[in-house]
Amino acid sequence: MKVIFKTAAVAAVLFSLVSCEEFGPVFTGKYDEPAYQEPVEMEATHSIADLVGTYENGKPYKINEDIIIAGKVSTTDQPGNFYKSLYIQDETGGIEIKIGKNGLYNDYKPGQTLYIKCKDLTIGQYGWKDNPRYGGNGMVQLGTSSTVAKYETSYMESPLIIDQHVFKGKPGEPVVPMVLSENPGPGEYSISELPGKDDTQKTNKFVGSLVTIKGLKYDNQVFVLLYLDSNKDKESADNRIFLSDEKTWGITTWAMSKSKMTEYIQSGLWDAAEIGSGSAAFGTVGEHKGDGTYPDIEKNAYSVSQYFKVGDKSIQVRTSGFCKFADREIDPEVLAGRKTIDVTGIITLYQGNIQFNLLDISGVKVN
Amino acid sequence: MYKKLTLVFAALLCSLSLLAQNLTGGVKGTVVNRVGRTPIAEAQVTVLQQGVVMASIEADQNGRFVIEGLNNGMYDLLVKAAGFVDAHVNVTVEGYVKDMMFLSMVAEQQVEEVDDSSFAEFDLDDSGYSDSPSIIFGSYDIFSNIAGFGFSPIRFKNRGYANETQDVYLSGVKMNDAITGYAPFSLWSGLNEAMRSKESTIGNAASDYGVGGFNGITNFHGNALSVRPGWSFSALTNSALYRLRLMATYASGQLDNGWSFAANVSARIGGNDWVKGVYYRSFAYYLAAEKKFNDQHRLSFSVFAAPGQRGAQNASTQEVYDLMGDNMYNSNWGYQNGKVRNSRVRKTHEPVFIVKYTADPLENLETNLTFLYRTGKNGYTALDWYDAPDPRPDYYRNLPSFFYMDEEGYGKNNYEKFAWAQEMWNPANTQYVNYQHVNWDRLYNVNYNSEDGRSKYIVEERRVDQNDLNLNADFKWRPKDWMTLVGGVGLKYNTTHFFKKVDDLLGGKYYLNIDQFAERDFAGDEIKIQNDLDYFEKHGEAQKLKKGDKYGYNYFANVVNAKVWAHYNYQKDGWDADAALEMGYDQFWRNGIYRKGLFPENSKGKSESARFFTARAKVAGGYTFKGGHRVYANVGFYNDAPTFSQSFVSPRTRNSLIPNLTTSKTLSADINYHWAANGYDIRLTGYWTKMWDMTDLMSFYDDTQHSFTNFAMTGMDIRHMGIELGFKIPFFAKGLSLQGVVAWGEHIYTSNPYMTQTIDNSEKVIFDNQQLPYWKSHPVEYRTVQVDGVEMPDLDINGNPIVAKSQKHYVPSTPQLATSLGFNYRTSSYWFFDLNGQFFANSYLDMNPLYRTEVAVAGPDGKATPAEIEYMAAQEKFKPVFLLNASIGKSWYINRKYNFGFSLNINNMTNNRNVKTGGYEQTRLIKSADTNRYYRFDPKYFYMQGINYMLNVYFRF
Repeated sequence: MKVIFKTAAVAAVLFSLVSCEEFGPVFTGKYDEPAYQEPVEMEATHSIADLVGTYENGKPYKINEDIIIAGKVSTTDQPGNFYKSLYIQDETGGIEIKIGKNGLYNDYKPGQTLYIKCKDLTIGQYGWKDNPRYGGNGMVQLGTSSTVAKYETSYMESPLIIDQHVFKGKPGEPVVPMVLSENPGPGEYSISELPGKDDTQKTNKFVGSLVTIKGLKYDNQVFVLLYLDSNKDKESADNRIFLSDEKTWGITTWAMSKSKMTEYIQSGLWDAAEIGSGSAAFGTVGEHKGDGTYPDIEKNAYSVSQYFKVGDKSIQVRTSGFCKFADREIDPEVLAGRKTIDVTGIITLYQGNIQFNLLDISGVKVN
Repeated sequence: MYKKLTLVFAALLCSLSLLAQNLTGGVKGTVVNRVGRTPIAEAQVTVLQQGVVMASIEADQNGRFVIEGLNNGMYDLLVKAAGFVDAHVNVTVEGYVKDMMFLSMVAEQQVEEVDDSSFAEFDLDDSGYSDSPSIIFGSYDIFSNIAGFGFSPIRFKNRGYANETQDVYLSGVKMNDAITGYAPFSLWSGLNEAMRSKESTIGNAASDYGVGGFNGITNFHGNALSVRPGWSFSALTNSALYRLRLMATYASGQLDNGWSFAANVSARIGGNDWVKGVYYRSFAYYLAAEKKFNDQHRLSFSVFAAPGQRGAQNASTQEVYDLMGDNMYNSNWGYQNGKVRNSRVRKTHEPVFIVKYTADPLENLETNLTFLYRTGKNGYTALDWYDAPDPRPDYYRNLPSFFYMDEEGYGKNNYEKFAWAQEMWNPANTQYVNYQHVNWDRLYNVNYNSEDGRSKYIVEERRVDQNDLNLNADFKWRPKDWMTLVGGVGLKYNTTHFFKKVDDLLGGKYYLNIDQFAERDFAGDEIKIQNDLDYFEKHGEAQKLKKGDKYGYNYFANVVNAKVWAHYNYQKDGWDADAALEMGYDQFWRNGIYRKGLFPENSKGKSESARFFTARAKVAGGYTFKGGHRVYANVGFYNDAPTFSQSFVSPRTRNSLIPNLTTSKTLSADINYHWAANGYDIRLTGYWTKMWDMTDLMSFYDDTQHSFTNFAMTGMDIRHMGIELGFKIPFFAKGLSLQGVVAWGEHIYTSNPYMTQTIDNSEKVIFDNQQLPYWKSHPVEYRTVQVDGVEMPDLDINGNPIVAKSQKHYVPSTPQLATSLGFNYRTSSYWFFDLNGQFFANSYLDMNPLYRTEVAVAGPDGKATPAEIEYMAAQEKFKPVFLLNASIGKSWYINRKYNFGFSLNINNMTNNRNVKTGGYEQTRLIKSADTNRYYRFDPKYFYMQGINYMLNVYFRF
């Protein structure tokens, strides 16, 4: 019996040695719900216009000072026309913050104030073309340094970069769009105030801002760039098909999903389109018809620029093929030029031209 | 004493008087080990009549004995031998010397005192790995005893065979999962005492319970009488799996009224020292009763289950392990309000009910009728999310390698982002813990702030709820002493309900039942994105899901299986032979509950049935030479149906069966030598197995198609071949023995299977029955020619280099060379010590078929260069491993009634933390910057735990 007690004692000691500490971390009961995150409060040191004013065309740079800008989130990536980035705007203009994650609207709500600690971020421009004949400004953006020559900034992407630079302030009411019209009513602006090809947020508060432009008339023109094989070199002429040249190519939707694109191409509407362009042509789309499925041409979702005019201003409404309203038909009355539309979205510049980005299809109102 | 002598004297007088009438006879026979039928030398054979010893004799070196001069009548024959369980046999003497042929004895469980109730035999199953060890230990085979427990941490697979090749029976009913074929040990994990009693065969050998396959049959008895009588309590703590196991067992043995009762309960709780987030909160119960009505009739009932939950482990890439400085990093968990919460928890409660009626209408005929029913729930939780960033901490876009790679071809050269990402993964910085693990706080806050409370992140539970109904009838007939015929019929009807349900809305109010993968392709199409189109049509919107609601997919798998089998055994004059045959019919179909938006015509209701006739045939022969050396061989041919899980292209969404579905065929043979005597126990086996027409199925995102795809492979052939040696040799001192095993094999793929790849959302076929060119091997050397004294590659007429040498590809996730050598020392005072070293080599990573396609190897430019082939198609071979393990234990017997003891074993004493036990290749591809080729994603690995202990204390009476 003595032996038993002795051994039991030894065993008890052994058990207590090994078991005490490690029971703690394992919790199998009901977890308490985490607390709501408190909004951050900061003081902006610069307006968006001030910040953009520090940038000179073609000279992206990494911000070295303790600059903080503040603005309300004016976009949402929920419908998918904005992707991996969002715009914030203050009274001087709006700027794209290239965060680089999908589903940003889950963390950054429209109307919520964001504070951007700019130090160590890179400011640069996208879509700028320095050509006296048809060039002009693009959009000045905030992101991280880019290692790709053709881009001045890149998406932040790395979660730690994002969370060390983008701070969530108080939620608020969504941004109210500024209204531009040929015949401005009270509180509205004239379309003559729309940005010109050399404007930036420093010189024009509509750049990058949420606006409603009234009275857009269809201009019977699209621009689409297709690739035969997106896995191959996208810069190579023999891999590119341009649907442009002041034609609509039968495209009656705001953009095209993969299935819509398949439908368009198989209808034969694009048979005359050339592969490559100008001097470097590689035949036409029609030559790749095959059994009618155009097997050599990859089917994919594509962005479409639909051209509109208001007054003497040309406005391309550019919409992503991956967005939820990509395949929505434009009202035939609008396409026929019998009706105009009012659009609400973000004004951007691309090579000096206005590219208008809808937030959602609700931003299109047929008059 | 005086009384006894008088009785003996009286009996002798009687026998003398009866002698004249030739009314005496005797018995003779050979005492053999049940396993291998090797003779047992010097066994003590005693003849009793009504408890009185009539004669006693010692068998010779070859196990033979003869007892003559017994009166006609009924006797008990008691056979005792060291190391074996006492055997009782009834014998009738009828005027001649009756030849009992072989009296087989069962070895005492060699590990009995060592392990007691041992180690966590069944616990290793399903700890997050996709595969579990396939050797059952505690059997009577020397190889299995050493390899079974000793090799399980490295995930050694017996002869390289997959888990589902092992036939596992319970109470005579085949229990392998009806849907996957998987060995079902997790059903009774934690019930080690109740399920201790079992019988196993090895390799191609048939058993008394069924014909079986080529990887042995194990039958767990599971009835009350099979549980060791008495009380038993044990407490076990270990640092590898869970903190504490408490177990209690009681069995009555057979009471005077013919009843037997048994119960076994256990609890396994806590985490372990190595993998955070992994925990057990598992319980187990077993209750059984059995009534023996008379010598002819017996009825038994058993019910058991192992309810509970356990947190699972996840594999990560080496990059993540290196960043965290820990190969045991587990990406499944994160802190919620400071407490570790695992997102992947297995929750099960699957009770099994058994009713068995046994009738012995004749002395030499035993018949059984068994009804077995398995039911309950089996769930596995996981994070699910909709239109929100991937919440897994080790998602590839969160890793430094996503931003910068040394090799320029990747085109990943942003060192700034790389540095930030690396900082984020700095394990020393406790601020970043929410990046390195699941950030539950963020998930809740996203849901709190979501429009009208729609959850963006939830915890889902994937349920696989089985209803498995079995009816078996079998018999064992021994018409002659030298022949036994066993056989039976078995029917199985299984309906398994597959569905997902909302387990936790994580602070939100509802989740929507739509298919977000369909939404990616058909964003504007309200119909196509519906998981449950009927609901949508009835209510005009997709279902807003609350906690507990089913969603995603919802279907039944139905499996019907019928079989008839027989096994004939012959034993005479040292020869033995077996023949066994099983014929079966398998039918299965899918029955969809949801009408799916993508496939409204092919998702709801019954699918086409897949039907297969199956057959298994075996023959075996052996001869036992003088001195107990036995040589035997087995050959088997198996024509097996594919499982439900291998047969539907995308069972989550639709009723389509894989094209060209056929039975798999296996031809297998083994030859064996076994000798067990005088403390020696040696088995040597050579085996060869060829399988063909196997199928496999997987679903993954294919970057070349920008789509989620289904990938079915048919016509896969595998060959296993190797030798197996297990030995135990007495070594100088009494009680000391040298023991070890060697398992060497070459298990390879021998065909390039055909693949059919379809887009999951549209069922569009991308590749139709095309061969996978780099599956079984890939070229490593090419022929060269001398042109003007310069060595040039030799090209065929198509301009492709001519292959001079190829590298074979191997069956993965098990060392194909596994050895162990150790000392075992047992004292007469019940101490034992065990020390062994193990060496493992030739272990390979599981291959993903995408990387063996021409598309992936050649890259977007369509040209497969030798460098690309080597990069993409080669199979990773793991480094060899040396491990050192030790055990110590002691048991005390008090008053020959109470038994108290402990055992402690320490595994991986050198604390080797770099041992890969398995893993898998990811299926993603990265296009090179120059678009000429693809790169792979890094593979994910599982590692073996470092030094760990297991201490077991037990008390029995």
